[in-house]
Amino acid sequence: MEETLTAPAAPAPSKEPARSGRTESEKALRKKRRVAITRPWTLLAPSLVVLAGLLLWPLIQVGKLSLQSYEVKFGGGVGTWTGFDNYRALLSQDEFWKYVVANTVFFAVACVVLTIVLGTLVALLLNRLGTVWRLICGSAIMAAWAMPAVTGTQVWVWIFAPEDGIAPKLAGSLGLIDPATTNWFTERLPFYAIATLNVVHHGFPFVAITVLAGLVTIPKELYEAGMIDGANAWQRFWKITVPAIRPVFMVVGILSTIWDFKVFTQIFMMPGADSQEEMLNIGTYSYLKAFAADDYGTGAASAVILTLILLIITLVYIRTLFKQGEEDL
Amino acid sequence: MRKIVIGAVAVAMTMGLAACGSDDDGKDKGGDALDGKGKTLKVWIMEGTNPDAKPFFKELNAAFEKKTGAKVKVEYQQWATAQKKFTTAIEGGADQVPDVAEVGTTWVPQFAKTGALVDVTGDVKKAGLDSDLVEGLKDAGTLDGKQYGMPWYAGVRSIVYRKDIFEKHHLKAPTTWKELRDTAIALKKAEPGMTAFPVAGGAEMFTAPFVWGNGGQLAVEEGGKWKSAINSPEAVEGLKFYTDLALKDKVSPVKATTWLETDVAAEFTKGKVAMTIGGNWTPKALMAEAPELEGKLAAAPIPGKDGGLAKSFLGGSYLSTFNGHNKELAWEYVKLATTGEFATKWAEQTNYFPGTNSGVQAMADKKDPLVEPFAKQMIEGGATVPKSPAYGEIQATKVIVKMVQSILKGDMSVQEAADKAAEEMDAAFAKSE
Repeated sequence: MEETLTAPAAPAPSKEPARSGRTESEKALRKKRRVAITRPWTLLAPSLVVLAGLLLWPLIQVGKLSLQSYEVKFGGGVGTWTGFDNYRALLSQDEFWKYVVANTVFFAVACVVLTIVLGTLVALLLNRLGTVWRLICGSAIMAAWAMPAVTGTQVWVWIFAPEDGIAPKLAGSLGLIDPATTNWFTERLPFYAIATLNVVHHGFPFVAITVLAGLVTIPKELYEAGMIDGANAWQRFWKITVPAIRPVFMVVGILSTIWDFKVFTQIFMMPGADSQEEMLNIGTYSYLKAFAADDYGTGAASAVILTLILLIITLVYIRTLFKQGEEDL
Repeated sequence: MRKIVIGAVAVAMTMGLAACGSDDDGKDKGGDALDGKGKTLKVWIMEGTNPDAKPFFKELNAAFEKKTGAKVKVEYQQWATAQKKFTTAIEGGADQVPDVAEVGTTWVPQFAKTGALVDVTGDVKKAGLDSDLVEGLKDAGTLDGKQYGMPWYAGVRSIVYRKDIFEKHHLKAPTTWKELRDTAIALKKAEPGMTAFPVAGGAEMFTAPFVWGNGGQLAVEEGGKWKSAINSPEAVEGLKFYTDLALKDKVSPVKATTWLETDVAAEFTKGKVAMTIGGNWTPKALMAEAPELEGKLAAAPIPGKDGGLAKSFLGGSYLSTFNGHNKELAWEYVKLATTGEFATKWAEQTNYFPGTNSGVQAMADKKDPLVEPFAKQMIEGGATVPKSPAYGEIQATKVIVKMVQSILKGDMSVQEAADKAAEEMDAAFAKSE
C-alpha cells in the first residue's frame, strides 16, 4: 500500500532537474526512496526487536520443542527430532479429547457468554446511573477486576471449601446437599462451575467498562426515534444498541475468548486440579506434561494446538467483523 | 523487499539472542581450593525449613570465610518452584548452577542423571564420614554406587495424636492396624466434632506407610530395572485398609479427599483432628501456631499390620555440590555445614534430624517424648521411595495421589486404581531407561 502511494509521488520533484541536472535529481530521488523504505522500519525497529525477543523467539522455540523429544542435560538439553510423533500421540489419546479438550471448550464458551452477558447488563446499568452512583458502582466493579487471580481463587476456594465453606453450609441449610458427604472439588461439573464463577467475576468488569465506553457514544436521538416508533426496551437494545456498537462486542468477544481458552491460574490453584484427570484443561495439561512429567515435547505440542485454535477463532471473528463493516457501507 | 527485511531482522534477532546464552566464559577456573580469597560461593537453600535461617547462615558463612577466605552468597528458594528453577539452571550449565545447593532427596536421581551433580563418594570416604551416615538417607542419594552430596537433615512421619483426648476416653496409641481402626472408630464416637483420623487424599506420604506396613512396595528393582509393585496383593490390601477407614468406617470426612498435608495441619491447629500421620517437625510447628496445644500432643511410630513398625518415608535434604567452577571450595562448605556443630545447630533450629547416626542418637538420648518416637521410626523404620530418575516424575504427576483420590471418590475399585497407577509408573520407568 505505502509503496504504491510513494511511487507516484516520487516523480513530482523531477520538475526541477531542468536546472540542477539529471544526475542530481536522480540522486535525490534515490535518497528519497531509500528514506521512504528505511524510515518506517527504523521507527518500527525498537518495537519489532522487543516483539521478536519476547514473542517470536519463544514461539519458534515452542514450535521446535513440539517436534522433538527433549531431555534436560547439564549445560544445555538435547532435543531429538521426532517429526509429528508428539502430535500424533496427543491427538490419539482418549483423555486428551474426553477431558482436556472438552473441559477447555465448554468452560471457555460458558465463560465468554456469561462474561459478555453480565458485563453488558452491568454496562447498561452504569449507563443509566447518575454520576455519584456510577462512581460508586464503577469502583466496586474495579475492585473485582483489580484483584489478582491468585487471591481471587483463594477466596472462591475458601467459599466453596467442602463442609466448612459458606456455600456448602448454605446449600446444606436449604436442604440441597448434605455438606458432610459433598466435596465439590471432586466432581467435574461443580468444579468447573466454581471456576466459571471465578473467571466471570474476574472478567466481567473489563467487558462492562468497554461496553459502557461504547454506549455513551450512541446518540440519544436514535433511542428517541425508536421510542416514537413504539419500540420497547428489548427492541431498542437489539435494533439500536447492538448494531451501533457491534465492533465493541467483537473486540470484547475476541479478547474474552483468548483469555478464557488459556485459563491456568484459576484452575491450577483449585484443590485436586493437578491430581484428577477429569479436571484438566489445556493450560494445566500442557504445564503438567512439560514440567511435572518432563515431557516437554507433548507439553509444547498441546500449547501449539491451543495457539492454533485461538488463531482460527480470531480469524473467524475478524473476518465477520470486516464483512459486516463492508455490508454497512 | 519487505519480506527480506523482515526475514533479516528475525534472523538477526534470533542469532543475537542465541548468542546471549553462551557468553561469559568461566572465570575462577581451577585454583587452590582452600585459598578462596576473592571468590564467592553461590548457595541455594530452601525457604521454610528453618523459621529464620539468616542468623544460622551468617554464622556458618563467617566460619567458612575465616577458614578459606571465600565469601558466600545464600539465595533462598521456594519448594514449590525450586525444581523448575534447578532445571533451568542445569540447562544453563556451569555458569548458572549454584556451587552448593540444598537438594531434596527425591530430586537427587533426577539431577544426577543430567550430569549436574558432583560424585563425592571418594571425598566422603577420605573425610571418614561414610560410616556414620544414616543408612536410609545415604542410600537415597546414592546411585550406582556413587554418592551425590552429603545428607544434611532428615525427617520422618509417625503418628501424632491428642494426648488429652486419648486420656479422656482411656485410649492408647495403636500398635497394630486393628487397634488403629478401633481407636479411630472409638474417637469418632466419642468426639463427633473432630476428625478421628484423616485419610488426606492429597498427601502421598500418608499412603505409603500402609503399603509398606503390609510388606508391599511402591516399585521394585530387578536386574537394574524398576517395575511398579503398587498393584501387588500386599500393597492393594494395605491401600484397601487405608481407604476403607474413610469409605467404610467414615473416620475421615469426605472433605479430606482433596486435603493436602497443610490442610490437615490447619485443621489440627483448630483442634479438629484427634489423630493423624505427622512429621517429626509438626508437633512444634502446630504448637507454634496454636499455643493452647502445648502439653496436649503425643507421638507414636506407625504400626505395621500385625505389630512392629510400618516403614515410613525418610525424607530429607542433601547438600550437594554442582559441577560449577568452585567444586573443591564447595565441598569444603558442604563438609562444614553437614557435620559437627553446624549440623546439630541446624537440626535443633529446624526440628529435623541430622543426617548422621551419632547425631540422631544424640537427639533420641534427650528422651523428649515428642522426639523419641520419631527417632525410633527413623532408625528402625525409615524407607525411601524408588531411586529411579523416573520417580521424581511419578511424584510430580501425582500418580499415588491420583490413585487414592479416585478410590475415595468411588470412581474405581482399589485394584483398578492400583492397576492404573502401576501402568503409569511403568510407563515412566520405561521412558527414563
